[in-house]
Amino acid sequence: MDKECPQVSAGEILATCSAACPVHTDTREYVQRISRGDYEGALDILLEVNPFPSVCGRICHHPCESECRRKTIDTAVSLRMLKRFVVENTREYRVSRQKKPAERKQGAVAIVGSGPSGLTAARDLALMGYRVSVYEKDTKLGGMLAHAIPRYRLPADALMEDIQDILATGIEVRTGCEVGRDITFQELRKDHDAVLIAVGLAESHSLPIPGTESSGVFLGIPFLWDIANGLRPELGGRTLVVGGGNVAIDIARAAKRLGTSKVYMACLEKREEMPAWQWEIDEAQEEGIEILNSWGPKAILAENGNVSGIEFRRCTRVFDEEHRFSPLYDDSETTQVDVDSVILAIGQKACLDCVSESPVTVDRGRLQCDRSSMATSERGVFACGEVMTGPGSAIQAVATGHDAARVIAHFLQTGETLKIAPRAVQTIGDLPAETAARAKRFERVEVSLTDPAVRIGDFSPIEPGFSEMEALKESRRCLACATGAYLESEAVCAGCLTCVRVCPFGVAKVDRTAVMPAQQCQTCGLCAAECPAAGIALSRFATNKMREKLREMLAGTVAEKISRPFVVSYCCLNETTSREFLREQTEAEIRETGILRVMVPCVGRLSALDLVSPFELGADKLAVLACKEEGCFYTGAEGLLRRRIARAKKFLDEIGVGQESLQLFNTEGSAEQSWPRIWAQLRSAAPDDEVIAAQAAAGGDSR
Amino acid sequence: MIIADPKPFGQVKEYIKDYKRVLVVGCGTCVTVCLSGGEAEVQLLASGLRIALGKNGKNPVILEGTVQRQCDEEFVVPVLDRVRDERIDAVVTLACGVGVNFLADRLGSVPVFPGVDTTFYGASAGQGLWAELCAGCGNCITAYTGGICPIARCSKHLLNGPCGGSEKGRCEVAPNSIDCVWQLIYDRLKKLGRLSELQNLLPAKDWRTASDGGVRRSVREYLQEPK
Ligand SMILES: Cc1cc2nc3c(=O)[nH]c(=O)nc-3n(C[C@H](O)[C@H](O)[C@H](O)COP(=O)(O)OP(=O)(O)OC[C@H]3O[C@@H](n4cnc5c(N)ncnc54)[C@H](O)[C@@H]3O)c2cc1C
Ligand code: SF4
Ligand code: SF4
Repeated sequence: MDKECPQVSAGEILATCSAACPVHTDTREYVQRISRGDYEGALDILLEVNPFPSVCGRICHHPCESECRRKTIDTAVSLRMLKRFVVENTREYRVSRQKKPAERKQGAVAIVGSGPSGLTAARDLALMGYRVSVYEKDTKLGGMLAHAIPRYRLPADALMEDIQDILATGIEVRTGCEVGRDITFQELRKDHDAVLIAVGLAESHSLPIPGTESSGVFLGIPFLWDIANGLRPELGGRTLVVGGGNVAIDIARAAKRLGTSKVYMACLEKREEMPAWQWEIDEAQEEGIEILNSWGPKAILAENGNVSGIEFRRCTRVFDEEHRFSPLYDDSETTQVDVDSVILAIGQKACLDCVSESPVTVDRGRLQCDRSSMATSERGVFACGEVMTGPGSAIQAVATGHDAARVIAHFLQTGETLKIAPRAVQTIGDLPAETAARAKRFERVEVSLTDPAVRIGDFSPIEPGFSEMEALKESRRCLACATGAYLESEAVCAGCLTCVRVCPFGVAKVDRTAVMPAQQCQTCGLCAAECPAAGIALSRFATNKMREKLREMLAGTVAEKISRPFVVSYCCLNETTSREFLREQTEAEIRETGILRVMVPCVGRLSALDLVSPFELGADKLAVLACKEEGCFYTGAEGLLRRRIARAKKFLDEIGVGQESLQLFNTEGSAEQSWPRIWAQLRSAAPDDEVIAAQAAAGGDSR
Repeated sequence: MIIADPKPFGQVKEYIKDYKRVLVVGCGTCVTVCLSGGEAEVQLLASGLRIALGKNGKNPVILEGTVQRQCDEEFVVPVLDRVRDERIDAVVTLACGVGVNFLADRLGSVPVFPGVDTTFYGASAGQGLWAELCAGCGNCITAYTGGICPIARCSKHLLNGPCGGSEKGRCEVAPNSIDCVWQLIYDRLKKLGRLSELQNLLPAKDWRTASDGGVRRSVREYLQEPK
């Protein structure tokens, strides 16, 4: 794939966001593509490593955001929402790019379980050309995504988008077929060259306390399963969920949506120790769920066999010094909560009945499996997903699915097991505080969730997606880490210190020759614009490449046929709020309108040469459309650009082009509102007063 | 370092207006550092020349290049090769005057024109500013003046104290931008506890070590090839 600045595929140093992602999504690249209006290209990047972008756009726990370097400046880029924006705006394209395997290979694989791990492995193997059959005991595909995660967070159609894409690879599926019951494991073995166990953790743990057999006691996963399948478990007016993790939160919030007036959660942990994500806890509390911390359940109380309450004792410690789960209790402090139902969400375990009649070894309820080769005790039988790793996230399950496909393909080709060495990931490191302190702050685009009073009414999705304007705005908060300046050749660097002096972030250094450490560089391009040796290159949007492109576009007779006056317009792409000006212009359009747009992520990186050379290529006028006044993403760029333009104007006078041919404008409102007016005026003979005013405000006109 | 300023564009244009294939060649050392003759300036000047001469109906081919130093044979050979191979009929160099001469001595029948005015030996005095600090007189006297050169930095090259135009530490020639070097020397020697040395008059300077003694050469015999 032709990337602006390859990191993942080239095995280079990763931005921290990509490094944190279990499948190493090339986050920076897709975010940059969004910012350039290339949503389809962004989807290509997502699908490169993740067959579940629609799911992840909704429910991924987004480790990328947790590691986003922008946090040192203000807040992380809203990456999950950007991902969601991409999938929601590329549906047709996604169908059109669906892939089938190039050639069929010898080898059949059975996959037990259609969760994210199983389906990922299935897709990979199918694309390699193997015959893949997925066996799923439920009627729906998707594992926990289909029948545990509540619909207000993950709507069924989002999951369907991913699944349809995966099925298009030609996988055979057998839903409603439980291995071990509807078909034996040995039969699977007989008909396939390899078997992959991806059964997840489908069963909830119960509690070894009195009263769990009472009517009104539910186990977490079956409870969610019923809801996902359109059933409405009967809860009384008051419900208590035991557990402090994300699953418990989902259950409590689902219970609320079933109409229960009072929902409690109780857990051993203190508030700050709760394993649930903070945002999940906040949202639950907004919905009126009361959390009781540091209580251990002692007994479920019942009257006539029906739950009437639950008794707790104080939990004084959950983890020991080595962070192992080892709770301690104070029996002298107890409490009782009167409730009509209790739901247990204290953890899950695998159901391994499917292999009970087979030689595959299960040890104390756990499937024996080597993590690096993913091999079970039986040759040709592999495992992936949560049954192997224990509880985790959807994207972690996807990562294991990819690995499983690799080891199985290797096995099918060679008969050998393959040990996958953990990938040594090298990141560019955190953004140093002193660099961050010089960067400008830009507020993260947040969406408002449905009002809590309304959202508890049903299972409708509670989070709106980004509008195009919001997505573009948010994408431009990305620092495009590690795509900054570098010295193209040490031989040309005179060590003149210009880069050191102009760098607004204190990044560039001269150590015999110039160095711009990727860890700090903010990619503004100011050093490259001023380098007297023209020796500094930018890995993202290099202006020398832009000049070549301009030359190419205007080569031959094209320039002659363009409607006059011909205006070349450098535009700050950060100001666009739609794709209107981000699309590539056609030759005919340039010819007819007499306007050639060159979109630049900050016009501050234009060198004096960039401000002169278009006239060599036939331009009559050159417009630099900068951001709103004081709106530049980069500290210090506006002042430098203004001085560079003043210099270029002087030079244009000297060479007989005339300084009025080059004009700087600030965008007013949005690009879509502001730019057409500027262009119209530049193309008409008499300059419009307003435009002159805008130009004067930009300090770009000396008349 | 040698400091130079870009020549007025019109002058350079005038030099080359009748040539058909012109090479603009920059120098990667001093003039790159003082932002007057590095590759970026080469590109800008070349673009300007193409535009300006194009407007006059002439469309000469303007080629571009920069070498590490135009004052060494080894670095200059590629320029000479290009001139020959690419049938260049004039060269504009953005190196200091040394580079112009060095090329002229080697270019045979192809003319070379200066693209910069070479001004002085100086140092950076802040972002985008250079100041003269040495005059290359061939017999350094700064040992007696606290390391500060009265020849380069005194508008009148006075050797034994200031003239009457020294006022409040400033030079009468341009009080806003030039310090009186004798004030600087005084302050410096005072700081060094050597103020009394000012009483030792410096003898009249023998300018033969400067350019008055004829064209100068600098020899390191140990590295010269035996004759
Ligand atoms: C309530 C809840 C909320 C969650 N929220 C999030 C979240 O917000 N973000 C996130 O990233 N992750 C979340 N997760 C975790 C995520 O769902 C899991 O990490 C992921 O689904 C694990 O994938 P898997 O492929 O290992 O197994 P599963 O998704 O568990 O799929 C296993 C499949 O195997 C099938 N199966 C089992 N036994 C058999 C058999 N004998 N024959 C045939 N089929 C069989 C099951 O029916 C199931 O469909 C959540 C999990 C739960 C339970
Ligand atoms: S700023 Fe952009 S590239 Fe850098 S870590 Fe955040 S999302 Fe990744
Ligand atoms: S000037 Fe900008 S591009 Fe250059 S090193 Fe500094 S931050 Fe990076």
